Amino acid sequence: MLAASEVLLAATLAVVLFRLLAGPTTWDRLMAYNSASNRGIVIMAVLAASLEEPLLLDVAIVYGMLSFLGVVVLSRFLERGEVHR
Amino acid sequence: MSSEILIGIGCAFVIIGTVGMMRFRDLYSRLQASGVADNAGLGLVLIGLIVHGGWSSLDWGLLALLALLLLTNPIATHSIAKSAFTQGHGREAK
Repeated sequence: MLAASEVLLAATLAVVLFRLLAGPTTWDRLMAYNSASNRGIVIMAVLAASLEEPLLLDVAIVYGMLSFLGVVVLSRFLERGEVHR
Repeated sequence: MSSEILIGIGCAFVIIGTVGMMRFRDLYSRLQASGVADNAGLGLVLIGLIVHGGWSSLDWGLLALLALLLLTNPIATHSIAKSAFTQGHGREAK
């Protein structure tokens, strides 16, 4: 069951990465980056639960904080209009 | 058994949200599909992982991850939408 959910989440991650490459606007790419990092975090959590490895959960928490910070900072830069899009 | 049901419902939410992200025409529609379905689906998968296998030492970390996800994902989606709206995306004369 956990392996099947890992495969499904990885398949949706691949689809979201296609949106990251082919997004019409910059905000589409930012949304796809946010969504892909969330899927990566949950894949790490499923892997930690199936392997009984608590270290992966710490990696997932730190990665979640950093990706949230990156998304908010990039959207603030785009909001000011100082970056060429 | 209940954890498998929760994880299955969560995976269905994530797949529906991904289809919405690929099929919708507008940026704001895609943002809504991304934000709402991701939050519901990934949260349900994490709750299913907490229920899975009884109480273990892994569950505190999973609970912290769930709180982090439920706290940060709406803020990030709102920030992206506000940035696009401030820059005038979607406000052209129709």
